[in-house]
Amino acid sequence: MERTAFKVDPVTVEVVGNALLSVAEEMGEALVKAAYSDNIKERRDSSAGIFDAQGRTLAQAAHIPIHLGSLLGVAEAVVQRYPRSEIHEGDMFIGNDAYEAGGTHLPDIVVTAPIFHKGVLIGFVANLGHHADFFDRGEGRHIWQEGLRIPAIRIMERGKVRQDVLDFILLNCQLPKERIGDFRAQFAANRLGIRRVQELCDRYGVQQFFATVEELLDYTERRMRAGIRQIPDGVYAFQDDLDSEYFETLLKLVVKITKEKEDITLDFTGCPPQVPAGLNMQWTAILATCYYGVKTLVDPDIPPNAGFYRAIRVIAPKGTIVNCVEPAAVYSRTQTCQRVVDLIHGALAPALPQRVTAAHNGANTRMGFHGINGRTGERFNYIETLGGGFGARATKDGLDGVQVHMTNTSNLPIEALESTYPLLVKRYELVTDSGGPGKWRGGMGFVRHIEVLEGELDGGAGISRGVVPPWGLFGGKPGSTQQVEITRTDGAVERPPRGVGGRRPATFRSGDGLAVTTSGGGGYGDPGQRDRWRVKQDLKEGRISRRSAIEDYGLTPEEVDGVLTEEK
Amino acid sequence: MQRVRIGIDVGGTFTDIFLFDEVLGQLAVQKVPSTPQDPSQAIVDGALLILQENRVPVQDVVYFAHGSTVATNALIQHKGAKVGLITTSGFRDLLEIGRQVRPHLYDLQVDKPEPLVGRDLRLEVRERTSYDGRVLLPLAQEDVLAAVARLKRDGVEAVAICYLHGYRNPDHEQQTKAIVQKEMPGVYLSVSYEVLPEFREFERLNTTVVNAYLGPGMSRYLHNLAAKLQDAGICCKPYITQSNGGIISLESAAQNTARTVLSGPSGGVMGASYVCNQAGFQDLITFDMGGTSTDVSLVNKGQAMMTTQRELGGYPVKTPMIDVHSIGAGGGSIGWVDLGGLLKVGPQSAGADPGPACYNRGGQEATVTDANVVIGALNPEYLLGGRMKIDAKLAREAVHRLALKLDLDDVAAAQGMLSVVVANMVRAVRVISVQRGYDPRRYVLVSFGGAGPLHSGWLTRELNMQRTLVPQRPGLLCAFGLLVTDVRSDFLQTRITQTHNADLHQIGDVYAQLERQAHEWLDRESIPPERRLFHRSVDMRYVGQNYELSVPLPSEAFDQHSMDTVLREFYRTHDQTYGYAVEGEPTELVTFRVEALSVVQKVPSLSHLEAGPKPPKQAHLEDRQVYLDGGWTRTPVYDRAHLLPSNVINGPAVIEQMDATTLLLPGQRGTVDRFMNILVEDSLVQ
Repeated sequence: MERTAFKVDPVTVEVVGNALLSVAEEMGEALVKAAYSDNIKERRDSSAGIFDAQGRTLAQAAHIPIHLGSLLGVAEAVVQRYPRSEIHEGDMFIGNDAYEAGGTHLPDIVVTAPIFHKGVLIGFVANLGHHADFFDRGEGRHIWQEGLRIPAIRIMERGKVRQDVLDFILLNCQLPKERIGDFRAQFAANRLGIRRVQELCDRYGVQQFFATVEELLDYTERRMRAGIRQIPDGVYAFQDDLDSEYFETLLKLVVKITKEKEDITLDFTGCPPQVPAGLNMQWTAILATCYYGVKTLVDPDIPPNAGFYRAIRVIAPKGTIVNCVEPAAVYSRTQTCQRVVDLIHGALAPALPQRVTAAHNGANTRMGFHGINGRTGERFNYIETLGGGFGARATKDGLDGVQVHMTNTSNLPIEALESTYPLLVKRYELVTDSGGPGKWRGGMGFVRHIEVLEGELDGGAGISRGVVPPWGLFGGKPGSTQQVEITRTDGAVERPPRGVGGRRPATFRSGDGLAVTTSGGGGYGDPGQRDRWRVKQDLKEGRISRRSAIEDYGLTPEEVDGVLTEEK
Repeated sequence: MQRVRIGIDVGGTFTDIFLFDEVLGQLAVQKVPSTPQDPSQAIVDGALLILQENRVPVQDVVYFAHGSTVATNALIQHKGAKVGLITTSGFRDLLEIGRQVRPHLYDLQVDKPEPLVGRDLRLEVRERTSYDGRVLLPLAQEDVLAAVARLKRDGVEAVAICYLHGYRNPDHEQQTKAIVQKEMPGVYLSVSYEVLPEFREFERLNTTVVNAYLGPGMSRYLHNLAAKLQDAGICCKPYITQSNGGIISLESAAQNTARTVLSGPSGGVMGASYVCNQAGFQDLITFDMGGTSTDVSLVNKGQAMMTTQRELGGYPVKTPMIDVHSIGAGGGSIGWVDLGGLLKVGPQSAGADPGPACYNRGGQEATVTDANVVIGALNPEYLLGGRMKIDAKLAREAVHRLALKLDLDDVAAAQGMLSVVVANMVRAVRVISVQRGYDPRRYVLVSFGGAGPLHSGWLTRELNMQRTLVPQRPGLLCAFGLLVTDVRSDFLQTRITQTHNADLHQIGDVYAQLERQAHEWLDRESIPPERRLFHRSVDMRYVGQNYELSVPLPSEAFDQHSMDTVLREFYRTHDQTYGYAVEGEPTELVTFRVEALSVVQKVPSLSHLEAGPKPPKQAHLEDRQVYLDGGWTRTPVYDRAHLLPSNVINGPAVIEQMDATTLLLPGQRGTVDRFMNILVEDSLVQ
């Protein structure tokens, strides 16, 4: 193993690194506990991080990977906009814009605050909440339709909220009561983070703290490079078709990964130009996505800080769907992000067959309703993103019914949902035969079926993988496609193949239902090689059907009957 | 006739027994090997042994309580019962989907915990209740009958019943329960409205299933124990500790086994509170460091902090419990070097077998215990008061192998391991203190467990804590805690009520109803009325928030004055927890709670005469070289058995006793108090 002279002893680095991580986690937890909106308090669609004075990430709490994109850009945006002399103790900055504030989409509003120690700016804390606001605003062909664009501007000055700025923002929000509650929680989380980092500096002294942080970043880079070295040198390429709610045509996504010694380059040259819909990823979104993908393959426990990024090079031509420029719309960028992670795994499959996974659910499936809540007379916006199947792994099945890759938000408990909104959940269950057959089966997708109880609401479901199923690996078969079903009280059923919403919002009246089925993951290895007892177990538990047991896995009809009779 | 009380802590390796003789005012201790196949064996054998040694006839036992990890281990090791689940049609997979999050954000090889009920035994019935308790679809009894027939055929040992909104209107769950009871007499039943009448369906469902999963095994174990005690002639009512720190009868525990999942560590917290209260301290951080794990918790004004939810073996369990934070680091934790060249310690542990390298049982890797031997903090020849021989050479060799990888000398590597392990402990203490809004510098650290007093000197210095209390028997404090806990249970009802227009009478009725239930339970526990106590509290939040803060409430008629008190207390707690509070913003009451307890007569204070600051000659065993503050220091070693009240020992010093070793750093001063605790004060902490 390589040995480097430590500027600071390895024990202090470990101790300070852990301390910073626990501060970020503590901030994130405080935000969830004090927040007002369902999307933050129950679905935990939020993150927190700590940065040095140059804006480099020192720690990010393990919440939602795509949020790293917004956090990566935000401290930098503040530093660029305001000279140091204009940043004061007690200030906080708010921002969300994809082009002016480093954000990845407008609902993710970041609040950043400088950390001062004995009068000196030593870094920043930031936290992000996905504010489920800015809904019902048309087609989303460009970013102005997607909500209020906030550059990184001062929301708090020397400890006092700038009421004029806050009022302006709230006036542009559709649910200002939720927003103000959530903002308060975000301010409080930052205050907590600042206090904790100051305490660390008190204990170690600022100079020692700075030196330790430098070493922490170097350590992370060393560890990252050690991980990258394990990938055989070579050039690896992969491609996949992105289908979406917006276009009939497919968008071809490509990657070429070059690995040489301890460097890795991910080149997305050849991806389509940016599109007039929210599928575009801006620069920090593609970075966060590549960092995530590589991390899952080389060393999942590498500390999430800027040292990690030094060993990864990303090439993404400007003006394309993977590095869009103003005024591209970005709302649904995670649909594309999810595919990019799968691309990275697909490309490196020949190099790291034991670590890669087959394609996951591959979408950030969204369903929701908005309108007037008949119980309160107030406007509401219910939104939820649905998990699905994990791609199968080299020695294991994929996980059933979970959030994959760039997101990890919780569901909204049914009892919370029904207590708040005029909606009734009819079904929430795993789907038979959704996991791609293989020696190792892809994880199962699920269906969530919601009925409208009263009023007239707009509703929709944004999906991907409605047409192109998640691919399998090494002989494994694809998982199922996503499906959307609208049921009307007169018995009519609509099945839009690319979802509803975005450009085709639907109206729901009392008794109408919306059922969204997410994809299962792709399989891994030849299904004929699957352990017979596992096939029978899946059959017994209804995870696969009689048809699949025979056709995909080669069980004889007699064997199938044996299992099913026992079951009856 | 004598009157003796027995407290027993069943651990993974040893079962510790404490006996207190009320007449003579004497304590006795004993340690026997645990019998994991049937834990009741070691309990009864140990009890009989200690009685025999102290010449106490079995019929003189008037109190018998034990803490046990039987439930915890059954859950973690997947050794529970075959369970069937009956649930609302369309929702059988809720148990697997959970909150739809994956178990590790970046490590794609990590699995979700195996569902405790197979998919084919999760049966759906047609029924539906609305969020406000209205029945939308009546229960299809024929579906229940079909489900029961199926579960009978499969021979399940327990049935869990959980319907959506069952916490709001339990009617369908009650009907189902009645059918199952009739059709499957004797089967273990776990019903959501009884186990956890709170909203959030997944957490309620999972807790109900965990209860069913542990129920049959725990019932067997508890019945077994009761019968064995009876046979042995110990006829007083036996108790078990719950996760909330209170004790309940074995019958109550068998009905609600989910409440005993953290039975083990709670005894230590109760013991620590008791010992410290005697010594005059009420604000404590308990630090229980054993061989493979460390438990920390916070006690505020004599009250252990409580929580309502934690994950065990990956399964969320919601039940009132002491807020014990556990980390996988202890004396047996192994030191290693990661890919980036940093030193890590744990969570891998050498366990009891092979154990640390110095045990000479084949362990090759350097453990925390080995590091302590290398720096001279632990006796280089034996541990456990001479019961176990060790080999210091093996410890040095193991640490040397690690040091090579770090490019450090052996002693620096050993010291480094201790620094890393202490850093992990610091992080754990911060979780239960600063993260909850409590400043550890205001608290006394209670240091116990076999490895606690060896590391607490460093820990308190890192945390800037001035005072540490090391109890007389640090390694046996959990068992001692069982002699001093109260009979206790919690009763609760979720009823969301806005504070500005709350019906105060109705709130009064909810509390009256809860206290009625509590009285019925205390009747069953045979507690006379004059020894009953009730503590009310309410979980509340700002309207719009979903996480509540618990606020205590005076036990009197609920009026406007009570409401004002509640609000004031809420603002204060919110400010303490989150750093802000907005007065006047709408708030709501969510869950009403009553804690019922009966105060058990405690072990009286055993006060000793003061003997002056100088320890007796025979207490000073030897001087040993210990590596402290970057150099070898000649350090006196004392035998704790010979120390007397008011003796003062200045650090650096090592104090040895059978169940633990205490290390005082330079600048730390230990004073033996009249209860034989050592109170350590640190002059280097301001």
